[in-house]
Amino acid sequence: MTTSAPAPTRPLGARVRRRAVGASRRAATGWLFVGPSTLVILGLSLFPAGWAFYLAQLKWNGFSPARGVGFRNYERMVDDPDLASAALHTLFFTLLYVPTSVFLGLGIALALNRRIRFIGLYRTAIFVPFVASAAATGILANYLFDPQFGFVNNALRRVGLPAQRFLEDPNQAMTVIALMSLWASLGFTVVVYLAALQDIPRDLVEAAVVDGANRWQVFRHVVLPQLTPVTVFTTIWQLIGSLQLFDLVYTTTRGGPVESTKTIVYYLWEQAFKQLNFGYGSAVAYVLFAATMVITLGMIVYSRFAKVQAF
Amino acid sequence: MTGHRRTRRTVLALAALTSVVLAGCAGVDPEPTDSGPTASATPLTAEDPNAPVELVWWTGQESDAQKILDAKVADFTKQHPNVTIRSSSGAATTDDLLQKLSAGFAAGTYPDISYAFGSWASELGASGKTLDISAEVADPAVKWEEISEAARETASPGGRTIGIPALVDNLALFYNKTLFDAAGVPYPTDTMTWDEFRATAKKLSDPSRNVFGTSFDVTGGEGTTWAMWPQLWQNGGQVLAPDEKTVAFNSEAGVEAVQFWRDMAVEDKSVYLDQTAEKAIGLFASNNIAMLVTGPWALFDVGGAKTDYDVTLLPGTGDDHQTVSGPDLWVLFDHQDRNRAYWSYQFVKYLTDPAQDLTWNVEFGNLPLRSSEIESPEFQAKAKVTPGYELLAKNLDNAKNKRPTVEGYVEVSAAYGKAVSRLLQGQGEVGPALDDAAEAADRALADR
Repeated sequence: MTTSAPAPTRPLGARVRRRAVGASRRAATGWLFVGPSTLVILGLSLFPAGWAFYLAQLKWNGFSPARGVGFRNYERMVDDPDLASAALHTLFFTLLYVPTSVFLGLGIALALNRRIRFIGLYRTAIFVPFVASAAATGILANYLFDPQFGFVNNALRRVGLPAQRFLEDPNQAMTVIALMSLWASLGFTVVVYLAALQDIPRDLVEAAVVDGANRWQVFRHVVLPQLTPVTVFTTIWQLIGSLQLFDLVYTTTRGGPVESTKTIVYYLWEQAFKQLNFGYGSAVAYVLFAATMVITLGMIVYSRFAKVQAF
Repeated sequence: MTGHRRTRRTVLALAALTSVVLAGCAGVDPEPTDSGPTASATPLTAEDPNAPVELVWWTGQESDAQKILDAKVADFTKQHPNVTIRSSSGAATTDDLLQKLSAGFAAGTYPDISYAFGSWASELGASGKTLDISAEVADPAVKWEEISEAARETASPGGRTIGIPALVDNLALFYNKTLFDAAGVPYPTDTMTWDEFRATAKKLSDPSRNVFGTSFDVTGGEGTTWAMWPQLWQNGGQVLAPDEKTVAFNSEAGVEAVQFWRDMAVEDKSVYLDQTAEKAIGLFASNNIAMLVTGPWALFDVGGAKTDYDVTLLPGTGDDHQTVSGPDLWVLFDHQDRNRAYWSYQFVKYLTDPAQDLTWNVEFGNLPLRSSEIESPEFQAKAKVTPGYELLAKNLDNAKNKRPTVEGYVEVSAAYGKAVSRLLQGQGEVGPALDDAAEAADRALADR
């Protein structure tokens, strides 16, 4: 059939060609736009990730020739009590930080989602600490919570309470760091929740009120379900951040006192750059990456399953 | 948005990862350039000493010191116009230089000359990327023998001289006269024993006024570790076994040294436990710590704060008051370029020459490199306005044992420092904790 009908093929072919040219030009334009950032992503994350995987199979101190050790670095993690305690500290921080930042973020967003005087000022004030760098937050923490000369202990003394050792007390240091992390990052959850709250259609709320719902019922049965996708998103986001806690520890306690604030990332940094175990440090980084991936995927799958459209 | 924070964290992690990775590229390459001890004695001669040469120098210094060093560069390049020296601190802190060097090796853009802590010497020496200047420093004009033995040995890991000592530190006892006077306690002397030290510290502690008898670095880093070595040696102990294949710091002498500080910290509560290694000198300067075991680098801060202080020898076990010395180095790196190698050495030789040392180390307040400089008018002038300066310079003679320079010392130090810091903060028993640390350290040594 194709041989007997040569006539229509010519114009059709031309059209196809023209369309193909247009499409490839569009594709080229597209690549031109995404190209630079793709290169950055490839260069700064995928390539290093690949190398780190390779490095995790070596014993290498950064100077002498490296030695291949296969998966021994991973095996070593199984009975590394220091890594286990770093994981526990990270878990403790996560339990303190993630739920609080989500609930508190929601609470403050609800409080700020109304027409009152100076609302712009309040919203800005909540958001400002989020813009401050971790180094600044760390310095501030050192000033506030210094056991001898800190502001908080002075305040405690004024009201007749015993002074605390805060960052120098193994039982308090992680809580203080969680507190400072909350202070620094609450702005994020608040802003996300505020945006979500303002996205809730007014007629939904009005319909509920007309139907006789009180304020709590409106919140519980109308507002909260609307916020679920955002809650899943912020939880995952904060979770990833808390599993990677490093900067605030570095600028305040350096993992002390008695290693009570040594998190997984701090531990792997210390292994690689302080003790020059680059291979082992990379292996720990990989396991942390895998764990974070599994948790995140788990939450995404769950939210899909539960019909929550977070992603 | 949250982007900001997260990105910063990610960037930190990525940066770490990247440098690990970049470093990986080179580290894995078999390095044919490694010149063993056999190749060592070849003298460095330039192909053409008048050809233009550009050198990169990482000084590891902050701005005040950097200014003096820049003046040295200007002076040297004026005498040798074909030489250009690009001098910078190299990294944000001296500690960070090690990472920078490691990444630089990987990228192939390492400097010709870099400052290095003595504890890195064996790692740098094993990199196969350093020059060997054993033949050069044998020249009597260098006055190599006048540099303290510990410093010379540190500069020569495995018998290859990889650089020239930049300065030498040691530990002594700083005491705050204001606090002693206020309490009516006599000043420490150079015959003080550790037991007297402990009693004095207890007497001077006053928690209600935030005053501590003394302080100890509990970061678990080398600062923690080396502060304990003098007492270990005074008690008759050693860091390593004679064959240097295992550690010996968990001997009876070692346990005794750590037990002493643990009891002071936990029972007397007369010790300010410095979690960051950054606070003790400031607290001493502001009259909150009475006695501090520290070194010449504290002179700058206490001088600036106009603290009324003086310095004496470390307390002793019996009449043994030996201390520990910590040399830092100017390490020279090999770029397979004879002209660069020649001029790198010429510059470092010039910089560490006694005449130049007086207008660099002595002027800045570091200890002089050679004992002969003590007689110079420059030194005497500095000593007159700086209490303790002369004592610290002479205290170098009390460094009878040297800090180990075996490859793997970094991990030995980490294992020991960690144990000491936990013990001083009241966790665990000294004997078993040191045994555990020894086991970890032995593993690290066996692994090298």
